[in-house]
Parts: sequence; C-alpha cells; structure tokens
Amino acid sequence: MVVSCPELRASGGSAESAQRNERVISAVTGICPNVEMVEPGVCAFGARGPARCFGGETALAARIIAAVADLGVQARVGAAGGLFAALLAARQADPVLLIPGDGTAGFLAAQPVSVLADQDLAGQDLVALLNRLGLRRLGDFAALPARDVASRFGGAGERAHRLARGLDFRPLAPRPPPADLAVAREFDPPEPQAEPVVFAAKALAERLHAGLAARGLACVRVQVRATWADGRESSRRWRHDGLLTAAAVTDRVRWQLDGWRPAADSDQYAEGGVTVLRLTPDQVVHAAGQQLALWGETLPSDRVARAAMRVQALLGHEAVLRPVPGGGRNVSDQVTPIPFGEKREPRLAADRPWPGRVMGPAPALVFPAAHAAEVTDGSGRVVTVSGRCELSAAPARLAVRGESTQRVTGWAGPWPLSERWWDPAAARRRARFQLVTEDGRAWLAVIQDGRWLVEAGYW
Amino acid sequence: MIVASSGPYSAIDATESKFDNELHEGGASEVMQMPRPYPAASIPASGGGGILPVLPALRGLLPQGGLARGAVVAVAEFRLLCLALAAGASADGAWCGIAGIPGAGLLAAAGLGLDPGRILLVPDPGPVWPQVVASLLDGCELVLLRPPARASAQVRQRLEATLRRGRGVLLVAGDWPGAQVRLRVVTQRWTGLEDGHGRLRACCAEVVADGRGEAAMTRTCWLWLPAEDGGVAAVGPLDLPAGLPAGFPPGLPAGFPAGLPEGHLADLPSGLPGTAPALRAVSAG
Repeated sequence: MVVSCPELRASGGSAESAQRNERVISAVTGICPNVEMVEPGVCAFGARGPARCFGGETALAARIIAAVADLGVQARVGAAGGLFAALLAARQADPVLLIPGDGTAGFLAAQPVSVLADQDLAGQDLVALLNRLGLRRLGDFAALPARDVASRFGGAGERAHRLARGLDFRPLAPRPPPADLAVAREFDPPEPQAEPVVFAAKALAERLHAGLAARGLACVRVQVRATWADGRESSRRWRHDGLLTAAAVTDRVRWQLDGWRPAADSDQYAEGGVTVLRLTPDQVVHAAGQQLALWGETLPSDRVARAAMRVQALLGHEAVLRPVPGGGRNVSDQVTPIPFGEKREPRLAADRPWPGRVMGPAPALVFPAAHAAEVTDGSGRVVTVSGRCELSAAPARLAVRGESTQRVTGWAGPWPLSERWWDPAAARRRARFQLVTEDGRAWLAVIQDGRWLVEAGYW
Repeated sequence: MIVASSGPYSAIDATESKFDNELHEGGASEVMQMPRPYPAASIPASGGGGILPVLPALRGLLPQGGLARGAVVAVAEFRLLCLALAAGASADGAWCGIAGIPGAGLLAAAGLGLDPGRILLVPDPGPVWPQVVASLLDGCELVLLRPPARASAQVRQRLEATLRRGRGVLLVAGDWPGAQVRLRVVTQRWTGLEDGHGRLRACCAEVVADGRGEAAMTRTCWLWLPAEDGGVAAVGPLDLPAGLPAGFPPGLPAGFPAGLPEGHLADLPSGLPGTAPALRAVSAG
C-alpha cells in the first residue's frame, strides 16, 4: 500500500515541508510500523498484516487518510500487488484506489507507457522510442519477450519491462521503527520521599545504559524529566564532557530533584510527590571510548564537578561558567564564558594581533552592559569626537549613571576603533578614552554615535 | 638616627618591616595597636595545612600570612584587591568560585595569577545564593562572593558552619559582620595618564586591614595594585609615582618630601615621636 501526499511532493526540499513530511511519516508509522520512504511525500508499506488488523484494506486506508488529514495534509492511498502498481494507483486515487492482487496485471496493462518516464529509469528516451514503435500501453510493452527487450533496449529497457510485467526490482525495505531508548518509571501512588525516587533513578539509569550499550552507543547528554502529582514538570538537560555513566546520571537526578524540596534538610518533596520519572538520552554517540588531553587542559576533579553540577541543578545549565581567555579588541570580548561541562574554546582566537585593543593592565570590573555616562568639558558641554578624531574639548567631568559626578584628573584618548566595517550588522565605530577621576578610580569610556558609555572600571 | 636591625626577624626585605622592628625595639608594643604588617620572613612561603597562600606582596596584610581555612575575609567592595587575594591560592592549584559578580574582570584576574582554567563563575546566583555558595564551597577551596542581598545572621551562621566543615575560604566583596579579616582600599592613585596622553600603567593603593582576634590590629600596606606587569608588588620608597600631590599620602609632617609610602604612620599613637620613622626612611633610601 502506498500513501502519497501530492502537496508535499510538489513543495520540494524546504525545511518546513521536510518537517511536515516527517510528521506524516510518524503518523503513518503509528498505524503500521514498517514504513519505507519512497520519495518526499510518498511512503509504502506491506498492507496485508495491517489490513487484517484493521478490518480490511478500505478501513485501513480510511484510517490513514484521517490520521494524515489531522495534520492538515491531503493523502491519497493506493494498493496493488507490487510497489510500482501501488504507486500508480495512489497517483490516480481519489482518494483511495485499491487494486486487488489478481487485477494488478490488467491495471498495469491499461497504463500508458509514459508512466515509465516518471520512474527515471528509462527516461524520456525509452518512452519516446516505445511510442514511435507503436507500443502505447504498458500491456503492449509487457507482451514483448523479455530476451528480445534485453537485447534491443539494454539494461534500462529490461528494468522497465519488468515493471510493466508487474515485477518490482526489489522487495520493500521498510525503515525499522526508531528504537525508543528512553526509560521511565511511574510511581503510583505518587512518591513524596526523596530516597525511593533516587533509588528508582539508579535502576532506570542502569536500564538506560544497558539499552545503549546493547546498540554500541553512549550518551553525552541526557534529559531528566520528573512529573509531579499536581501536573507540574521539572525537565533539565545534563551534559558531561566525559560520557555519562549510570552513577553520574543518578547524581544528576538527585541534584535536580533536590531543588524541589521545600527545605534543604527535609526529605519530603513538595507538590505531592513524583508520579513519573523519565530519562531520555538526548545526544547519543557511538561508544568509542574517551580520549583525554595529554596536557594543556585543567580537568575539574570529581569534587569540583559535583559542586558545579549541583549549582547547575539549582540554576540551570548555563548558570555555571568557566572563562576561556581569547582575543578581541574590546575588553568584554576577550573572555568567553563557557557553560560547565562543555567544550572550552574562545570565541575569538587569542593568537591574532588584534590591533586597536586597549593596552596596559586589564580592568578589574567589566560591566556586563555598558553604563550610560556623560563626559563634559570645563564649560559643561558634552565632549564630542569628530569624524577626523578631533576632540571638541578636554574632558573635565564624568557623570556615570547612578553615581555622583566626578572631576576628571587625568585622561587619554581618543583611540579610534572601526570594527567589522565589512559587515553592516556588526560594524561599529567608536573612540575610546581612559579617564581618572578625583576619587582615584579609572574608567574605560567609549563614545559611539555621539553617546558616552562606560565599559569598564579600573579599581 | 640609624638603628641596626637585630630584632627577631632577621631576613626582612620590606622597608616597612624594618620600621616595625625598630619600633619594637623602641618600646612600641602590640597592645598599643601599632599598625604593623606581619613580617614576611616569619611566614612560610606556601601555606601549610590550615592556610591558603596569597601573593607575597599581600602576606603582610593577613595574620599568618595567608587566608586561614574556614575563615571569612571581607573586602569593602569588589575591586582588584578581591581578585588579588584569590590569585595566590589559585596559582597554587586551588579552584576558585566567583559568585554574584557578573563583571569580574577575568583578564585582570589572569594577569594577577589566577588560573582561568580553575575558575567557576556563577554570575547570577539569584535568591538561592546561600545554597549556591554552600555548593561551591564543597568543590572550591576559595569562593569569592558579592552577596546579591544582605545576608541575615542566620544565613551567615549557616555558611560559616559550612566553611568550617569544608575548610574553604570565603572572600566577600561587601559587608560581612562576622568576618575574621576586613580589608579596604583607602587611597589609590593611577599612574601613566596625563592630560590627554599616556595610558594607565599601574595603580598605587593604600590597603588597610583589620579584623577580629588574631587580626584585630590595624595594618596598612602600600601596594602596586596592579603593577605595570599586571601583578601585585609592594611599593618601595624609591619607585613612588611621580606627581603625587603635596600631602599625599596624607599624614606626613609638613615640609617632608611628598610621595613616600608611609600612610600607615598616619595612625601613630600620639605618645610616639612622629618624626623618627621619617628620618629612618630617608636613611633607608
């Protein structure tokens, strides 16, 4: 039986249509598991078993059309004794065309030879040749002796001849249903105690790993999802540089659920307890062992890793960072924070010259978002920098938002910086200054588009 | 007046320490709350079991010359001094957690000697910060914290109990009433920047430390924080920044050449002759 969705066939390879196609396939897989993708928008499966299960081919076809229609896609279903005939039937279906097994030869014989052109085997050439020879129906072509067809029309012609006689090149090769590697445990009644849940998590983690190991896989990231009795969910993804062992997964479950206890010393969960605990391997790799760097990288000890993971359990994966020094012209670019457990690579390479970066000691405080400020000259006018990098007047006062105005006792600049002029979205032109104020603090100030900002503080 | 140094500390490099010795002999006792940095020679270079090491220039500020495990050290606000205090331990192999300071200048930290590979950053610990700090203290020997909210006495006591169990050190950038040692920068002056030219090169800072118990004495140190190479160095009397205004550091007797690093003498008890150390400084120079 073939299911064909003309609109998905026509829409080509866009990401959206691929997504819809995948949804259609999974809907069909929900009805009969072994489905082969023939081409985008077309899938085929052996109908005998499912038809018996659902009470006949007509009922099966109706069920599939309804399931696909739920996704907003119109489907046509055709069935015949053979993939090629079923494909043709689906193409002509409105919306269902079922050719009984013994009627297949007759159905094919009545088809015009032009249907062979779509098979992309004989191509237009063969179809044109057959037409010139007066063979207009597949039945006429099929009536020729196979040996003569092979000697006259070559391999392509022989394959087309087999199709015309209702013989397929190969049996259906259905894709096996994706193995469900996730493991889950239900608690009925809901489990309010922490220990039994963690204990169950240990068994689950071992089952998860046994399932993965049987397929020669290992898991880099695992999703832990707990559902509470009141319907709320706690879902978190855990990643680890080293591959996650069963014990490591158990620890993470404990840390994640610890965050849901009303007090640190209580062993009862709020929210009425856990009803379902589910572990899903989120990123699976072939288990090929792990190679550690020989030197040059500091690996966190177990103790540090445990502490970091516990904080991640409280605040989320991105809350614990490890800084990686890199390159860049601005002080905020020169350190890349990487979430704990992920590969540490700076965003900008450190071994480039980076002309225009600020020289001298690095600031102790780099404001995560630059503070708005105002730099004025002796007469109270805002200091400006022209396109030719000329200063309107010497800076005399610095007013950072949220702080009192300070007298400027020393300054240097402007140091122009024109970054990424080739990329309109990222290009910026700015002039930088170092300012020292009367309270002894020093600032890295920037003027960009006529606005003053304070990027960093030296104190 | 030149007095030979023959006190209990024989191998003393810092000029300040020399003064202290001499003051000792002159009859000044610790009971008088003399500002006296701990002499470097009496301190093991790398901390023993109970002490996390600090950079050599900072040893004089801390009792036992390092960060005592289980203690809270508070710095009045977040500044380079906080990172400098952590640098010695980090260079020695300790992991350092930094919580609640999204703007911590990690490049400056690396310049001071902190190993970026052994830093855990929790920029925004949020309302559960006490739990976050307790977790970090389990894994890191040193945690630098700027509390997002004022810590209640109960929270402080809990964290201090965690500290004592885990033998870590909590460096607080902010107020922490029970801190064993409190440090603050009272004056600082950047060098290298003129009117319209130059660039920031180094900062000469006066750091004052006091605290409880063993640390009760007020100690003062002049430090290059940072020095030109990004590290920390003691300020010698000869390499003072040029152009310090008259009366800087404050407290020098009138007519004395400006720019000598004796800020800690400003707090001299009135009973002592204030001019004696100044004379020694001249001879030492």
